[in-house]
This record gives sequence, structure tokens and C-alpha cells, in this order.
Amino acid sequence: MAEENAPQQQSYGSSGGGGGPRSSGPGGGPGGRPGGPAKRGKRSFVRKKKVCRFCVDKADFIDYKKAEILAPFIQERGKILPRRMTGTCSRHQRWLTVAIKRAQNIALLPFAAEL
Amino acid sequence: MEERLYDLIFICRPDTPEADIDKVITTLETVATEKGGKIDSVNKWGRKRMAYRVQKLREGYYVYMVVRSSQGEVVKELERRLKVADPVMKYLTVRLDEELKRQDKLKRHRERRAARRPRKTVPAAPPMPGTEPQAAAPTA
Repeated sequence: MAEENAPQQQSYGSSGGGGGPRSSGPGGGPGGRPGGPAKRGKRSFVRKKKVCRFCVDKADFIDYKKAEILAPFIQERGKILPRRMTGTCSRHQRWLTVAIKRAQNIALLPFAAEL
Repeated sequence: MEERLYDLIFICRPDTPEADIDKVITTLETVATEKGGKIDSVNKWGRKRMAYRVQKLREGYYVYMVVRSSQGEVVKELERRLKVADPVMKYLTVRLDEELKRQDKLKRHRERRAARRPRKTVPAAPPMPGTEPQAAAPTA
């Protein structure tokens, strides 16, 4: 979780260059990023490209009954994580949100964390 | 109307005896068959901790079943029964056939693509040896 969040915040700020002075946080792991800026400044960090987990598994269907699959995609407070955090592709994110919402309705996943 | 497939999950109060849960299941089965539907499978998940409290309870007895019907009336009646059944706290019906259809379609699509891929990679292979002589030429 934390590994994924931190690099992502960098990508917000660095709109033009390949990592300006903003990218001072913990960088992603090594590994090239296809399509990313080629120049490597002193301060730039190379981010690991996130891939859609469901595409890797070639999932045609996301089962709402398997809460343990859906659990990594919700925040501690019960919110659904956005695509930019998890790297899920748009098609699978659409299926995922439906699956999460169904699971919530049958009390497999929380709507909001209890205090 | 073509046949439709539904997932039906209901949660009973955790303190209900097994016999009462079985009674609910059998009534649902008879209701479904009366209305022209069919219950394909019944799967008791048993007592599970719920993600949030329902009727001030933290646990519930989950029962999962697959219903097949071509009449919307079946689901309507099943849901009505679940609503009036005392041990049932919560239920959910999800229509699944369209998703399964989509799943099938994607699977077939991928299989077709996979079948085509070997042919695609064969023309892609010849340029590879072509580049090697070029790279080798300066050294030679």
C-alpha cells in the first residue's frame, strides 16, 4: 500500500519533466518505464509501472463473493481505491466497483469502517 | 423469455438452529419449482463474521444458492418469502447470466486471438535475423 501511494503522488506534480524537485520522496523500485521521459536528471526517480492485476490474471469476471480478492482495493475506511492508486485498467475498475458494491450489500465488505 | 441465472445469498441470524435454516431452504425450493424456476445448487457457507453489524449482530449464517428461471415472478416470490422469514436478516439477488455471457464472449475472443498469434509472430521473426547482419557488418 504505502509503496504504491508514495510514488503516485510524485506523478501528480511532475507534469512536464521526468521528475522535478518535487520527486524527493521515496522513489519506486528500479526498472524502466516504457513511454516515460528518457532523460534522467540527478533528482529523477524511476517509477515501476503498475499493471492491472486482473489483466495479468486474464480475469473475465470479478466475483463479488470473494471478498478476499476485493479487499486490497478498498481503503481502511471502506472507500474504493481509485485507479491511479492501484493501476487497475479502466475496464476492470468498472467491474471491480460493481463487485465491491455488491459485496458491501451482503455484508462481505464494509460500507464504512466501524469505530 | 430466455432463461436467466441468479445468485441468491441470504444471511440468517447466527443463533437459528440448523433445522430452521433447512426449512427456509426447502420452502424456497418448493416456491421456486411451483413458479416454474429451479434451484441449481445450495451452498451453506456457515457462520461468518459480517463486515458491519446487521440487526446489532456481528455474525451471520450465510447461505448461497443459484437460481435458474425464465419468469421474473420466481425471484419476486423468493424475495418476498425471504422478507417474511423470521431467521433471515439480509438477502441479495444478483442476475448473473449477462455477465456470464460477457465472460464467455471474452474467453472466446481471447482464444481466437491466441490461435492467431503464432501466425503473427512468424512474420515478425525474419526481421530479427535481418538486423543482426547489419549490426555485425561494422565489426566485420
